[in-house]
Amino acid sequence: MRFLTNSLAKKMWLTVTAAILITILYSYFLSYLFYEKIYVENVEESLLAEGERLALEYQGGPLADDLREKIDWYNSKSETEIFIVSNPRELSACLPFEIDYQTLIGKEEREELLKGNAVQKLGYEERFDRKIMGVIIPLLDENRLQGIIYLYLPLAKISEITQGFAYLWFIAAMIFTVVSIVLGTMLVKKLTKPLLDMKDAAEHVSQGHYDVHLAIDSKDEIGQLAHAFNHMSSSIQKEDERKRDFLANVSHELRTPISYVKGYSDALMSDMVQSDEERNNYLRLIHREAGRMERLVGDLLDLSKLESNEYKLEKMPLPLAQLIEDALEKYKPFIQEKGLELHYALDPDIIINGDEGRIEQVIQNIMDNSLRYTEKGEISIRLYQIKEKCWIDIEDTGIGIPEEHLNNIKQRFYRVNKGRTRSDGGTGLGLAISEKLVKLHQGELIVLSEVNKGTTVRIMLPVLEMD
Amino acid sequence: MFKKYWFFGLILITILLSSCTEKRQPSIPEDISFAATVNIKDMTVSFVDLKKMALAEEWKMEKPYTGALILPDRDAILFYGNQLETADLYSLKEGKKIGSWETGTGIVNGKLLADKTGVALVDQDLNKIRFFNIEGKELKQIEAESNPLTILESRKAKKLFVLSFNHEKLAVIDLQTKEKTDEFITHPSAAGAWLNEESNELWIGGHGEGIEIEQDIHVYDSETGDLKKTIPAPSMPINFLEKDNHVYVLSHGSNMLYKIKESGELAASVSIAANPFEMAFAEGKLLVAGYDSNDVHILDPENLKSLKTIKVGEGPFKMVLRERMK
Repeated sequence: MRFLTNSLAKKMWLTVTAAILITILYSYFLSYLFYEKIYVENVEESLLAEGERLALEYQGGPLADDLREKIDWYNSKSETEIFIVSNPRELSACLPFEIDYQTLIGKEEREELLKGNAVQKLGYEERFDRKIMGVIIPLLDENRLQGIIYLYLPLAKISEITQGFAYLWFIAAMIFTVVSIVLGTMLVKKLTKPLLDMKDAAEHVSQGHYDVHLAIDSKDEIGQLAHAFNHMSSSIQKEDERKRDFLANVSHELRTPISYVKGYSDALMSDMVQSDEERNNYLRLIHREAGRMERLVGDLLDLSKLESNEYKLEKMPLPLAQLIEDALEKYKPFIQEKGLELHYALDPDIIINGDEGRIEQVIQNIMDNSLRYTEKGEISIRLYQIKEKCWIDIEDTGIGIPEEHLNNIKQRFYRVNKGRTRSDGGTGLGLAISEKLVKLHQGELIVLSEVNKGTTVRIMLPVLEMD
Repeated sequence: MFKKYWFFGLILITILLSSCTEKRQPSIPEDISFAATVNIKDMTVSFVDLKKMALAEEWKMEKPYTGALILPDRDAILFYGNQLETADLYSLKEGKKIGSWETGTGIVNGKLLADKTGVALVDQDLNKIRFFNIEGKELKQIEAESNPLTILESRKAKKLFVLSFNHEKLAVIDLQTKEKTDEFITHPSAAGAWLNEESNELWIGGHGEGIEIEQDIHVYDSETGDLKKTIPAPSMPINFLEKDNHVYVLSHGSNMLYKIKESGELAASVSIAANPFEMAFAEGKLLVAGYDSNDVHILDPENLKSLKTIKVGEGPFKMVLRERMK
């Protein structure tokens, strides 16, 4: 039994086949029953009519011999077995005496016949030792049952007729069964093939090949499943690629400072350095690169924390203008150093519910970028409220970002100019971290830019409603 | 408080008590003579007033009685039936059950003996003839052949002849000693008999065996059991009565009534009723009950002319008489 039920296809096949067979058997018996019923009723009616016509020959009184002869003659010509009986013994006339004799008609039948009603018989008759269908017509002389005309057909004859029908039925049923089982098998195969394909595809995916695509175009549940499967595998593929890129990026980003540190430390150890000044210079460089690595690892740690959904913000009501102002304070020397101008217009009434350190980190990351890519001109910061949101626009007049890169700029380690190294000191994670943090504050971060004109980073955060 | 309800209480008690008693049947006055038919198809008893030649009363019975006999007090009627555990005694005048005889099932025939001191009942379950006194006390059982049915009493010889229905045997019982004294071989399916005490002739009819229909009356010597002759009386002669040196024979297979001289010559015949089983003489008339026609025909025994036909219940199988005291 397990052999039969260990696959869905077999189960479905079994179900379909069983349904077909049950339908055929059921319809066979039903139609046979109807056929027989209609046929039997028809025959019964004709027997009754025949018997009643014959009974018209009886003129009353004791049964005359010529009537017997007529009936005998008729019997010899008719397919129906017909006989006439006048023996009172056969007609159960002695019944109250309980005679040990199997009479042709019983007590109830005699009563019916005495009332002038014909009696119908269907089934086994001991007298004839076979199954019959018969009709008994009373020959009444007033209230005397002078005799009966018994007409019957052996049921075997009837089943002979139904036999032809049964053969036809059997052949038709066989053909129907074969055709429908073949069709059913095909249907089951068609239904289960996508599932098998999916199983193979899933095995393929589990072995690390994410490039599978199921070519199933049906719109039913299986089609939907296949579609979901395709979507899933392509998502896995994308994620896999991103992970690979990420690893490549991380190792690439680390390699530069590490080679610096290794090179300068080698130089220091091999006593190649002549002067103290040069040695200090080398040490400074090693220190700078170590710092960069520290920042990079710190950012990576932040990012992984942010992505793992374990990150907890310590939210509190913050006067945003104050916070931005404090953050900008640190940048003023650098801005002056680069010869840039700083403008800001901050709405002092805006209060948000946020994590002070994180919001400051966001501002710093964006300011770092602006400062890094702006050589001349100005950096302006605006804070204002539109409806329930406060908007922070940090606008610079830097090199800008080409349009085709705008969509990807927030990705980790994404660089507009692939050839550029990180000599500028950025980790390539700042915007990614900023966006994550803004999202944790139920906010939004948008980058708008035009090449050689400047970049605007717009942060929208929900304002804390002060009742 | 009780005063208020005593009347209703009385009614209630009356209803309760009356529901315990047997159903009352219409009373049959003491002074009428009747022929009563026990109708087995609809379980009724029809009383035909012989003087008025009309149906007097009909009793609806609760049990399938197949026969009856009237006890010497002319009021008690004993009903028996093959399937019944008891034979039940009814008072005609009161129209209610007055007692039961513990007979057990199988009683198919009964006869009040000529000396009017006892009753012989034919028991097909035990295959015995059972003698009871008229108080219902069983006196003796005598072994009979299987399926005893017809019994015939010889007043002169004080003998009881018992015909076995399917064993081709006739048993002779001495009524004084109540012992079986003789046994003769008869023809198959014998039923109905008449004893000619003068000539010691025993006329026995029958239904016939198997598909064969009995066409003749078999005349046996009542002393020796020898078959003396047969008299044709088609078909199925099963009832005999004698009056004025003529024997009236009823053949139910052909619905014929024959009037035959004691010598065996046919005097007259008539086709009558439908499937008649029972016949009786009363008030100088001949009564024939048609089992299928559900009627009683009254005939003039002289010329067998039908005087009247009276409808009775369905399936009159047994007829008992109560005639005026002479």
